[in-house]
Amino acid sequence: MGRPKAAEETAGTRLKLDGRAAVRMAAGFAAGLVSWLAFSGPYEKTVASTASVLIRTFESPSVTSLSAPGGEIRVDRSDFPPASPRPGLPAADLHFNFVLLAALFAFVPHPLEPRRFLRFWLAAAGLWAIHVLALVFQVESVYATRLGAWSEAHYGSFARNFWTAGFHFYQIAGRFAAPFALWWLMVRPEMDHASGLDGRG
Amino acid sequence: MTENGKEASSNRRSVFFLARFVALLVGFYFVVASNPVNDAVIVPFTAGVARVSTVILAAIGEKVSVAGTEIRSGEFAVNIENGCNGVEAALLFGSAILAFPAPWHRRALGLVAGFAAIQALNLVRVVSLFWIGAHRPALFSSSHTVLWQSAVVLFSVLLFLFWASREQRIRAAEAVGEHGPSKGR
Repeated sequence: MGRPKAAEETAGTRLKLDGRAAVRMAAGFAAGLVSWLAFSGPYEKTVASTASVLIRTFESPSVTSLSAPGGEIRVDRSDFPPASPRPGLPAADLHFNFVLLAALFAFVPHPLEPRRFLRFWLAAAGLWAIHVLALVFQVESVYATRLGAWSEAHYGSFARNFWTAGFHFYQIAGRFAAPFALWWLMVRPEMDHASGLDGRG
Repeated sequence: MTENGKEASSNRRSVFFLARFVALLVGFYFVVASNPVNDAVIVPFTAGVARVSTVILAAIGEKVSVAGTEIRSGEFAVNIENGCNGVEAALLFGSAILAFPAPWHRRALGLVAGFAAIQALNLVRVVSLFWIGAHRPALFSSSHTVLWQSAVVLFSVLLFLFWASREQRIRAAEAVGEHGPSKGR
């Protein structure tokens, strides 16, 4: 008995590691890179403002404000002395993995097919949430380790290790693993079982 | 099994694979980031990457010297840090291989071959980045952050997908051999 056409199209898709896939991946990488370069500024503002809200929600008094003047996230606190320099965190390191996500989604056949394109944007939304969380960890690790006596007075040993290890994990492994994990989660279920990449035991 | 049942089962396997992958990645991170392992394994390994890169750079005519993990010439110096020694891509690759169901000997083979391939590409990365830094410094930052990091990670993902696909084919062939072609999936 025949299956509905849509089901056939979806279930019939196989993940092939061939020249076409490599070309699609390169095109996806290029498209992701162009988008990333074009929209980094506004993107950083949304990440910074959301992380700012999160940090302020859990700090007392609420003094942190993050801004994204371009290329970096600037950390400000209303209790910093007015003349002291504000820490600046490199922004590209935080979110360049959007390009990886675009390349991975383009790797799959028909990446612009509406359902797959929607999944890509769902994954991009997930990656945005990860960027916000990573920025929270980065700012807290700055507070915990880079403000001298103030850091020692306000952060205990566990808190220092927690925030620093959390951000270091993102730097070393998390920022590379996140696009792969989101891609696997979003794309894998709609691939044909015959592709054999669903981790069958 | 119905299509819905197959899809639900596939979703479950995907989620279990991801859970194992993330757990292994976190575990490996703590091993690699611990001071004893970092000092005894990662730093000497990174120094080895610097030495081999220096040999290659010298072979292509660059006047370079190496001190620990730092490569320098008259125009440019670069310190190879964690994140640039290929270990991060190897962690990703290793976690994915170990999270994927397969016999241990084939996992071990995949790990060794994949690690060697990732390190070979990483040497190309270090050498080319040093050359770019010395001769095209304006391009260094974007090449370092976006192009090469992405290339090494995408390469490790592709290696894993290639291995997993091959592993699945081997298993399918073994299943046909055990049950006969008429009972194959």
